[in-house]
Amino acid sequence: MRLAIGSYTATSAAGVGLAAMHDSISSRSSALRPNDLQGCDLDTWIGRVEAVEAVTLPPHLTFLQSRDNQLAWLGLQQDGFLENLAQITERLGSDRVGVIMGTSTSSIGRTEEAYANLMPSGVISEEYRQPEVYSLHTPGTFVSAATGLEGPSMTISTACSSSAKVFASAARWINHGLVDAVLVGGIDSLCMSILYGFNSLELVSSSLCRPFDRRRDGISIGEGCGFAILLRENLMPEAEFALLGYGESSDAYHMSHPHPEGRGAVAAMDQALERAQVAADAIDYVNLHGTASQANDRIEAYALAQRFSEGTPVSSTKAWTGHALGAAGILEAIITLEAMRHSLIPGTLNCESQDPDSAFKVLTENIHKPVCHAMTNSFGFGGNNAALVFGRIND
Amino acid sequence: MRRWYSGASMTEIDIVGVGVWSEYFSDWDEFCSVLAGGAIPQVAALKPELIAANERRRAPLFVKMAVEVMDQACRMGALEPSEVATVFASVYGDMQITDYMCRTLDAAPRTISPTRFHNSVHNASTGYWAIATQSQRPANAISAYLHSAPMALLEGAIQALEEDIPVLVCVQELASPATIKPIYDSEQSFSTALLLTPPAHCASPLASLRIGVSSEKSEFPEAPEIPGVDWSHNLGARFVPLLAALATARDTELQLPLSKSSSLAVSLKRNTGKANA
Repeated sequence: MRLAIGSYTATSAAGVGLAAMHDSISSRSSALRPNDLQGCDLDTWIGRVEAVEAVTLPPHLTFLQSRDNQLAWLGLQQDGFLENLAQITERLGSDRVGVIMGTSTSSIGRTEEAYANLMPSGVISEEYRQPEVYSLHTPGTFVSAATGLEGPSMTISTACSSSAKVFASAARWINHGLVDAVLVGGIDSLCMSILYGFNSLELVSSSLCRPFDRRRDGISIGEGCGFAILLRENLMPEAEFALLGYGESSDAYHMSHPHPEGRGAVAAMDQALERAQVAADAIDYVNLHGTASQANDRIEAYALAQRFSEGTPVSSTKAWTGHALGAAGILEAIITLEAMRHSLIPGTLNCESQDPDSAFKVLTENIHKPVCHAMTNSFGFGGNNAALVFGRIND
Repeated sequence: MRRWYSGASMTEIDIVGVGVWSEYFSDWDEFCSVLAGGAIPQVAALKPELIAANERRRAPLFVKMAVEVMDQACRMGALEPSEVATVFASVYGDMQITDYMCRTLDAAPRTISPTRFHNSVHNASTGYWAIATQSQRPANAISAYLHSAPMALLEGAIQALEEDIPVLVCVQELASPATIKPIYDSEQSFSTALLLTPPAHCASPLASLRIGVSSEKSEFPEAPEIPGVDWSHNLGARFVPLLAALATARDTELQLPLSKSSSLAVSLKRNTGKANA
């Protein structure tokens, strides 16, 4: 099922575009900051992308005005992504390239604004009557409109596994012959629903998140977007990396608490390894979900210990990006690809004193080492899990 | 006309179960009866048996509708719920929770209910379903704006064939809250589930579908007219023409719009060996 990764780009608090993100990771500096989001008074840290508010959408896209789409527009401009996409589309035809986006909240921030500005009659005012933006499919609508792609367009919204699952659906579409390539991506922007929602569950940290640290006390919420082109291997012989496998599972346990023994997480990792036909011992790096919540990190470590040998480099990169929810899957898929490209494995940032009760030790310093096979995990509310395995082509 | 699929290799998939719920009929039998001209029944409050009583109190209508129709479809198809993957689709998601969240955020943001917050994820229905059925199968929750129903059918069919597993496709929409009526105005909630299996997976499917994507523009076909029922404004009712064909045992060809410029061509062949379920 190997599928080539044609091109990719990422934008988050860790940097706008790949070069900025690489600088943040290699210098081990976090741009997460004390919450300064307008209109939100929570005592927490956030991963905000600078100047998203100042991004102007082109006239043909203003009907989709929202913070999410401003962020998406900014992200699409980086790393020559649109130029690379145009070359592929020219060869394949725009109706042979599909779009699958992942998001947790779509553009709910815009709906929050609409509700803060209702008409005296109690209905939303003219400015906010944007049915496409009120839909869960906003990211897919935006990306299709912004790129001119005419293939099938879908948005997956399964909380924090959303933009990992986009790779699974895209692989099926391509293997089935529906399309030859898929632009996959993920996007979520900061909004009140998420900040106050996670606060109500007592899951946000009042400081910079500390994944796998014994003092960890919750997540730092971030925003971000990432995009990648997935296509048949024979259509891009020069590609460096491939998606080798994916796994998807349900915990069947609780809406907001992971299964205590990580059964869904293990099932997703097993499926991904099996599809990839790669043994756990051949995995050179695992990018973890690693949110810095008490439960996630304890249970993810327990799940890892069931499959991986001690010493396998594993890390959470959430202290660089914040938890970007529906965008986390693709951001971390891209961080994983970048680890392969630079032979630089990021060690967990802001984990100063590793939890002694953790069942698996995480890497806490960056190491330089070739990465041939790598995995990334994404777990979401509703007990929704995904794992992806990537590898080098011509390996 | 250019087809994404070559004409000869349209995707074939079986429908082995179906579930429906709305304010007008609580299951498939009542739907068939109303469609055949019967009186619109009194529909009782929704209490899906699959969800444990304590969970049911916390579950929003949006989740209960989905779990109800998915359960109906599994029963009709006589498949273990824990064996099926799920693809849930809706245009606007749980508008009642969105309404609650946005109102509360405007008035008193620190009072957001944690339960309603975790219920606000688009995959809440498949999450409750997995918990109720102890299914660890993959669960998906998608949207494709106005094209959510045909996209869910396409996504579910491809998953069923590529993974060789049964897939439950659930498509639904709530009645719209008053606040957003300028965007979406429907007085009714409507939920449908189709249980899909790869061909030959079940000995006697209800119907076999051939589906393919074409670059032809189309409009959603009109649903049968029933006095007192307004399908046309209900985005959850986009499968009704397909359901009507199933209910009346007619072989049918339908074009369902998949985007502004493409369609999902659906050819339904009723399995005459199976009595009207």
